This record gives sequence, C-alpha cells and structure tokens, in this order.
Amino acid sequence: MKHLLLVTVVLTAVATLHAAEIPSHPQELKYPVLKYDPPRAADFRHKLATGGTAYLVEDHELPLVNLSVLVRTGRYLEPGDKAGLTALVGSQMRAGGTKTKPPAVFDEEAAFLAAQINAGVGDTEGQAQVNCLARTLDPCLALFFDMLRNPGFAEDRLKLAKSQALQGMQRRNDDTAGIEAREFARLMRGQFFTTVPSTKAGIESITREDLIAFHEKYFYPGNFTFAVSGDFNTKDMIAKLNQSLANWANRPALTSQVPKPAFTPKPGVYVVDKKDVNQGRVRMGHLGTTLSNPDHLAIGVMNGILGGAGFTSRITSRVRSDEGLAYSAGSVFQSGRYYDGVFSAVFQSKSPTVAQAITIVIEEIDHMRKEKVKPEELATEINSSTEQLSKRFATARQKAAQFANDDYEKLPEDYWQKYRDRLRALTPDEIQRVAQKYLQPDKLVILAVGNVDAMVKGNPDKPQYQLSKFGNMERIPLPDPFTMVYPKP
Amino acid sequence: MRSIRLVLSSILAAAAFAQQLPVQEHTLDNGMRILLLPRKGSANIAAGWVARVGSVNERPGITGISHLFEHMMFKGTNTIGTRNSAEDAKLNLELDQLKAGLRKEEAELARRLRLGEITDVKDPKVRTARHQELLGKFEILTKRQSELIVKNEFDRIYTGQGASGMNAGTSEDYTVYFINLPTNRLELWFWMESDRLLNPVFREFYTERDVVMEERRMRTDSTPTGRYQEQFNALFWKSSPYGWPVVGWPTDIDAISREEANAYFGTYYAPNNLTATLVGDFDPAVAMELAKKYFGRLKRGTVPPPDVVTTETPQMGEQRMSASAETTPEAVIRFHSVADGHVDEPALNVLASLMNDRTGRLFKSLVLEQQVANMAFASQDSRKYEGFVEFRGTAKPGKTPEDVEKGIYNELEKLKTELVPDRELEKVKNNLAAGNFRQKQSDFNLLLNILINDASRSWRSLNTDPPLLQAVTPADIQRVAKKYLKPENRNVLILYRKGAN
Repeated sequence: MKHLLLVTVVLTAVATLHAAEIPSHPQELKYPVLKYDPPRAADFRHKLATGGTAYLVEDHELPLVNLSVLVRTGRYLEPGDKAGLTALVGSQMRAGGTKTKPPAVFDEEAAFLAAQINAGVGDTEGQAQVNCLARTLDPCLALFFDMLRNPGFAEDRLKLAKSQALQGMQRRNDDTAGIEAREFARLMRGQFFTTVPSTKAGIESITREDLIAFHEKYFYPGNFTFAVSGDFNTKDMIAKLNQSLANWANRPALTSQVPKPAFTPKPGVYVVDKKDVNQGRVRMGHLGTTLSNPDHLAIGVMNGILGGAGFTSRITSRVRSDEGLAYSAGSVFQSGRYYDGVFSAVFQSKSPTVAQAITIVIEEIDHMRKEKVKPEELATEINSSTEQLSKRFATARQKAAQFANDDYEKLPEDYWQKYRDRLRALTPDEIQRVAQKYLQPDKLVILAVGNVDAMVKGNPDKPQYQLSKFGNMERIPLPDPFTMVYPKP
Repeated sequence: MRSIRLVLSSILAAAAFAQQLPVQEHTLDNGMRILLLPRKGSANIAAGWVARVGSVNERPGITGISHLFEHMMFKGTNTIGTRNSAEDAKLNLELDQLKAGLRKEEAELARRLRLGEITDVKDPKVRTARHQELLGKFEILTKRQSELIVKNEFDRIYTGQGASGMNAGTSEDYTVYFINLPTNRLELWFWMESDRLLNPVFREFYTERDVVMEERRMRTDSTPTGRYQEQFNALFWKSSPYGWPVVGWPTDIDAISREEANAYFGTYYAPNNLTATLVGDFDPAVAMELAKKYFGRLKRGTVPPPDVVTTETPQMGEQRMSASAETTPEAVIRFHSVADGHVDEPALNVLASLMNDRTGRLFKSLVLEQQVANMAFASQDSRKYEGFVEFRGTAKPGKTPEDVEKGIYNELEKLKTELVPDRELEKVKNNLAAGNFRQKQSDFNLLLNILINDASRSWRSLNTDPPLLQAVTPADIQRVAKKYLKPENRNVLILYRKGAN
C-alpha cells in the first residue's frame, strides 16, 4: 500500500462551514482546498525479464485480481482479402481452447474458478485480460497464459464463429445507427484498413492456419505491456509474470508503422434511405487532428464548448434544450494517435426537422469561429477538465490501465503532471484561433440516414429549412450485405 | 479439482467490506432516508438519490409522466435557470393557458381523424384559423421565455466545479438521480439537490416533451425490434401497470400537462418517498450535518404515496405473438414468476444462471450439440410487484425460431425431471459469489445498487440476498421449474426475418 501514499489528498478543516446560513446561490459556497497530485507511472513500472513492461497497482480491499495485457498488433496488419481475420483471432483465442485443453475442458475449468477471461484484436492494438478471485490466482493465471501462448483455435468453434459472423453480416442494413457509422467512415476514409468490410467469401476463406500464423507473429513477450491491479503482492506478481513468460520464443517489440489514410473527403450532403423509421440520424464533419499536435488540448476545450460537454455545450443547448429537436446532440473532435482523427457533430431528429437541426449545428460551428468564447464559458470548461483529473486515477484498476495505455501510446512521461497547467493557460483568443484553424465549415460532409422523402419534404410549418440548401445531394444505396457491392444508381 | 473447491469455499472468510457493506443508515425527521458508505482511496464521491416512483405508479392517459418528470428535474429552480423568476412564472402560466386552448383544437382534430375525415393531424392544412393563431402566440411566448432562461444552468454549475456524469434514469419502479463529485464539493451537492426538491420550476415543459418524443423515436420507433419488444411486453402483462412502456405511449407523452406534473411531484417527490446515498471519500459526520441542514428543509408530504393496487391477473392459457422484423430470427419465451424478495427468487436466479454463458445449458445444448441456435440466454427479472423468467435464442441459418423454441422446452423439461448435479450447481454459485465482489469494485455501481434496492425492499438485501443464493439446493430448482415453467403460464414471441422465405 506504500504507493497509495503518493496520491495526496488533503482536506482542510470543514467544521466551520456548517454553522453558517444556507447561501442563496451556490456561487457563495466556500470549498475546502483539495490538493491532488496525479500518480506517476514510473512509481508503478517494472521491467520484465523478457523485455516487456508491467504496471502493478496493489489494492487489498476486495479479494480480486485483474490482469490485462496490451499487444502490439492490430487490424492494420490484416490481409485485405481476409477482412475479419483479426476479429476472429481475438474471439477464437478465448473460444477455441488451447493446444492441450479442448474448448469444453478449458471453459469448464475457467467457469468453475469463476475466472473472467477475454481476448480481442482492435484496429491498432490487441488485448487480453483475466479477472479472478485472489485465492485462485495461480490456476487462473495458468489458464490465462495457456490461452495467450498456446491457443488451440478448435475447428468446430471457428465454424460456429463464422456462422455467427455471417448472420451478423445479414443485419448490416437493418439498423440506421449501424448504417450511419459505416457510411460516415467510408466518406471520411475512402478505402482504408478501418473501412475494408468483411465479406462472405472472405470469412469463408479464413482457415485455422491463418489464425495460428497471425497469433504466432504478434503474441510474444517482448510485444506485451501488462496492467495488473488488486489483491496481490508486487514482488510475487513480478515473479509469476516472469515465470509465465519464460522459455517463450521472443523478439523485440513490433515497430511496424500504422498506415496513414490518403483520402480527401468530398464535401456535400449524402443520404441513405430507410423507409420504415420516423427519425433521421445525422453525422456531419470533416477530418480532425493528431495527438502529437500541440494544439490538441486547446481543440478539446474548444469542442467541449461547441458540443462535447453535454448540456453545458452549445449544440446540445440549442438543438435539444431550445428547440426540442433531438434527445441526443453533440460533437466529438478526435485527436488520433497514428493519423488524423475525425471531427463530427451528431444528432437524431424526426424526419421533418432534420434540415432545421443541421442549420443550427452549422450556425454554431460558424459562431465558434467568428466570436471569442466568453471568459466564464471557458473557465467552466477548463475547470471541468482540471477538477476531474483525479477521476481518471480513481481506482487501482484505472491507474494500472491508464499507465499501460499511456505507455502503449508513448505519451510523454510528465503529461498528466503538466496537464492542468497547460489547460489553465488557454485564453479566449487561443480558442478562437484553433476554432478558425480546425473547424472547416466549407469542408463539411453531411450524412443523413432515414426516410429520405420525409427528410427532403421538411417541416411544412418551417419551409425555410431545406436539405437541398447544404449543397449537392448524393444518394448512397444500400450494399449487398454479403459482398458489400453497392448497386449502381 | 478438489483443492480448488476447498479454496473457493474459504472466500467466504474474506475482508469485512467484501462480505457485508457497512452502510450507515439514518432517517431525517421528514422521513427522508440517508445512506452513507464511506470508502477511502479516491478523491471522489458518487452521490445520488432515488424517488420510489416509476411507470408502475402511472395510469392510462399519463403513461410516461415519471420519465418526463425525470427530464424536468434538470430545468432549474426559482434561483437556478432564470434571470427573472417572477416574469418566468407569469410566462409559464400564460403558456399553460394557450396549451389548454390548443388541446381543444387537437381534440377536435382527433375526433375528425377517428371519423376518417382527415388522415394526418399534423398537416397544417387541417388546422382552424384559431388553431394557427394559438400556435403563433405559443411560439412567441416560448421565445420570450427562452430569453429569460439561463441555459442549462443547473448542469453548468456542477460542471464548472468538476462534477461529472450527472444523469438520471427511470424504470418501472424507481427514478434515480446521480453524479460524481470531487470530494471537496460535497456541500454543493446538498445545495443543488435540496434546491431542486424544494423550489423546482418546470420551465421549457413543452419543449422537453418534444425531446422525450425524440428519445422514444430513437429507442423504440426507429430501431429494428423496439416496437416488437414493446408490443410483446404489452401482451405479456394483462392487468399489471407493467404493460405500458416506461417512456409512455406517444399519445400520452403529447398530452401530459404541467398541472399533472405538479400534482405528481407533490405526491411522489416528498422526502418521505426518497432515499439519498453517498459512496466514496467523505466524513460521514460532516455529511449527516449537511443532510440535516439542507434536506431537513423539505416538508413531509401531506398524503402518503398511494400503493399500487392492480396486480397481474392469472394467465388462463398460452399467449403467442409472431411477426416479421429486420432482425435475426428469434424465439423469446417468457413465464410469469415472482416479485423482488419472494422466497422463490433465489432459486429462479440460480436456474437462469445455470442456463447462461459458455458452459451454460442453453449454449451447450442448443448451440453446440443440436446446432439449432447461434446464441441463447436466460434471465429472471424481479420487479417490485411482479416478475418474469425469460429464455431466448436466435436461430442458426437454415433453422427456424420454432426449432429454437422446441430446443429450449427440452432443456426446461430436464430441469423438471432431473436434479441438477452438485458440481454444476457449485460452479454457478462460485460465479455468483465472485460477481458479488466484482460489483463492489466501482463506487458508482455500489451507489446505484444501494439506491435501487432501497427503492424496492431495502439496501440491506445487498447483504442478505447473496447467502440465499448460496443456499439454493437441486431440489429447490426442480420445484420452481415445475411451479413456474408451465405451458399455460407461458408467452412466446416468434420473430422471423422480414423479406426472408
């Protein structure tokens, strides 16, 4: 528990507060000083004998241990004609048993121990984790490392997973939310590893040998970053990790580059027709920025004021609270780790009022560029971020996960120590500068998924709002869900 | 594996917090319950309160009012949210009068629709001149009020002080409000929450009704299966108020008035119908002082909230619904069972757990062995007044929902005729015990669990229910299977894929 002392929380005496009358407005409340220093990753970092890194955070309140591992791999390493392979590698590591234990045996043992074991491979990382009772740590770790090292990829489970994948494929055009996400990604990225769809032929061509080859190539100790939290002794845990990783064919961590998209999105209005819904789903935006851009914190605060901070932000205030046009309305400005993220504003509104809500979002983007934010608006947004810093490290599990993630993303060592001062230095001028530079209304790609006739017809009570006013309108047809071939219009 | 069995039984000797939540329980003079669970480690507090009211307390005509109300609680008070409280109140009154006039016009349009004279009540062409005039005035007044409003000030004050995740939720049985606070902002929470209970103003009432309609469109109308699930639920409950959706029927959401909302608030948001809870890093003595100072101001309700009278009438025969939707073919089988806290609930919970997960009976039998389904689940849902146990599975390509249905019945039959083997039961109990620890990992989860349970029986059920699950025997499971999983007690939803043969 020594490490926990590094998180110093000092509350000054509060006894004097309560004799006073209840103030008429919360502005008059006085708060005890909260001194909070974020924990330093270095205090929890351990180099493993195999070259990987582990972050260990003890917490003995509950008899549980959580161990997760980040693996340098990703969907970007998947061959284009085998789209869906990495998703299957992740799910089948867990579902397909091990070289010595058939799936039924492995699953029964894990279930009897009440161990939760998972694995998965995402766009730019792989991960696996085990959550277990501290008293059964050794047998649970044995199962977990057996899976990580010697997955069986049993044929019958792979067959089932393919059947489930094909059934999921059939549903690709059912839900407007899914269509919206897929088509907006295509409009932003064009042909890119994140938008290559799996197909029936591709899934059927994936073999057990493909899974084995992918696993062998990327799952080795030098490629692992561990986050461990809970009821254990740090010294013992390091010994257990080293022992579990010993005699495992090893190499240095993967350094291959994640590709960057070359596509330039084409501004305009795009619609997808779904007759049987009474609400249009809209996503509108353009390319964002990267995490290495020194402006990314200022951009984050700017977007918080625009649409990222819930009810306090402008898009939510106007689209939802003022006009009642949507339940959920807001914006996201992504700073990507490897390439530009995406800026997008999103809402869902009944078909006739889609055009009116789009108009409001565009007005707010313009407003953000034309006028400086009010100092009190900026103070609220900055304070919100600085005062919430402790929440990021609230539990042992969050601490370990944050450290491992920052390590994986190669965040500067003093990032969280400097974070609050960097935010507090922001000014309304600075916010306007980044709004003008990074919000680009002339580049907006506007996607609306819903009943197109009703969205185009608009609201007879407000004929001034028309979908046709936002530029050339292109209809995107629904693709064949199994081949992902789009019919020619 | 014998040694593992011994090890697992010894987890019952783990640390005190892990076993029994040391919640400190207080009741203020006005009847409001205060539950405190101090916990060191983070510089945060999860804070919330629950009103013991939900859609089960509604009646036809005002279905959805509990949920609409939850939205209105964020609109501010006579100090928060407006620049001019007196003018704001005057405008609310004028808006209500206009709305009463509009309601007459809408009633006339509804009558004409009923007779087939018109087909669309929202078409501007069917409105009278008077109707159009009222709409115009309504828009002007709404705009005038909007100029007095300090937008979302309630949220803004919290956000500016580092509070986060402010939200609320409405269910059939309760309405819960919650937030996360930096530990030094505890008094702000007491100020804000007691102010919105003491001096609420339901401004932007009619705009917020529109927001709720959009929420309904988003969750129910415009999703592939939302409307089918809603209708199956309405079919399942014959007399119980659980039959209408929490979000409300569209006609009712459109018609609820501010007067109805005010009456609802007076009855169900009185302090004697509320429980407030804190979980996290705080001094309980300071918290109690603040609770007395701030929540102590609330006046006990003049009439106790009425109890729910209408119970579910026994079902006389199987009910079935079949439909085609844009979804994977599926069978859903639902039996009436028991309310929260019933003596049969632990056995029904264990029965559902036996069916679930990778090593559960449904996956093994329907997915792996018979290969009729691609996924299958079970659940026991115990609400405050009634409950049900449900089994569902999606058909594998080439198989039908009826194949899945048959496969599920075979598994249910085994529960009635064969005792569950000891080791299988032990596996399920191990997972239930571990789950009990896992749900204590997060202060926010604990907060929600304490509030939700206190709205039903008592927060104490979090301490008393886990041992009841561990005590369930194979004979108990067989007994409840025979008692509840009977054909005449069953409701079946069969979904085919739209457009498929």
